[in-house]
Amino acid sequence: MSELALNNGLFSASATLIVLFSLLVVLARNPVRSTLLLIMSFLPTSLIYVMLKAPFVGILQILVYAGAIMMLFTFVVMMVNPRPEENELGHLPGADPAGTRRIELNVLGGLAIAGIPLIIMVRSAAANLPLGPEHPSEFGELSSISKLIFENPMENPLTVSFELISFLVLVGIIAAINFSRRDPSHKKGTP
Amino acid sequence: MFDFNLANCLTLSVIVFLVGCYGLLTRRSLVMILLSIEVVLNGVNFSLISFNHFLWGTREFGHYLYMLSIGVAAAEAAIGLGMAIVFFRNYRDISRERASRLSEGES
Repeated sequence: MSELALNNGLFSASATLIVLFSLLVVLARNPVRSTLLLIMSFLPTSLIYVMLKAPFVGILQILVYAGAIMMLFTFVVMMVNPRPEENELGHLPGADPAGTRRIELNVLGGLAIAGIPLIIMVRSAAANLPLGPEHPSEFGELSSISKLIFENPMENPLTVSFELISFLVLVGIIAAINFSRRDPSHKKGTP
Repeated sequence: MFDFNLANCLTLSVIVFLVGCYGLLTRRSLVMILLSIEVVLNGVNFSLISFNHFLWGTREFGHYLYMLSIGVAAAEAAIGLGMAIVFFRNYRDISRERASRLSEGES
């Protein structure tokens, strides 16, 4: 089998899996199942990243997204433990299932009205774009990316913005710790 | 069988984006809304990498934007989940209907 046919087959299989798992994430009633399905949808995504000559990004997708961020989600879902039946719109106290179905159909119709022209536009625009130049031999590897970001750091704007991201994450950590701190005047046992 | 080209990659990214938007608009629990935002971000990241591969083959600016995006996603997940936990501790309920009635106080 030629490399082109292999790429097409792998891409088709991975794209089908990604769309399927993403749909199941959104439709699953049990939040724990949704979280695990989202991790499953990241695996074929990282395979396509490797095919797109971005091996380091594929590794980051597994390590950071599936490993760190989704584990955070899993722990929070287990701590909060939302009951599965409370997660759909129809199980509000006093809600009628027909109204829920109507809301879901309205959202679906709105997204179809917005999405189908968008897909047609994107496809026709992408078909006319000229393809880029050939990749250099080290394209997408860690050495090449770090050269892009950290080469000549005093004059490279990417270095500064990359370091600012670490401040953003630091602010996120401080905010999360501050949220989870209990009020000292809080009485034990009261909600 | 889909060809491995820019049009199909962008179509996949738009479809994942729309699926995430559907979840964002129909789910009730705050955790599920944050999870849908992750699906949306996944679609956007996918378009960044495919643009970089097919149109801009010399430098990795798309990969760089991807790293910025996961930094923002990590911070957003930390803050959003922290808020969800505080909300659960105060009200024993993380639905967005309860969140839209914050002015009514504890109940």
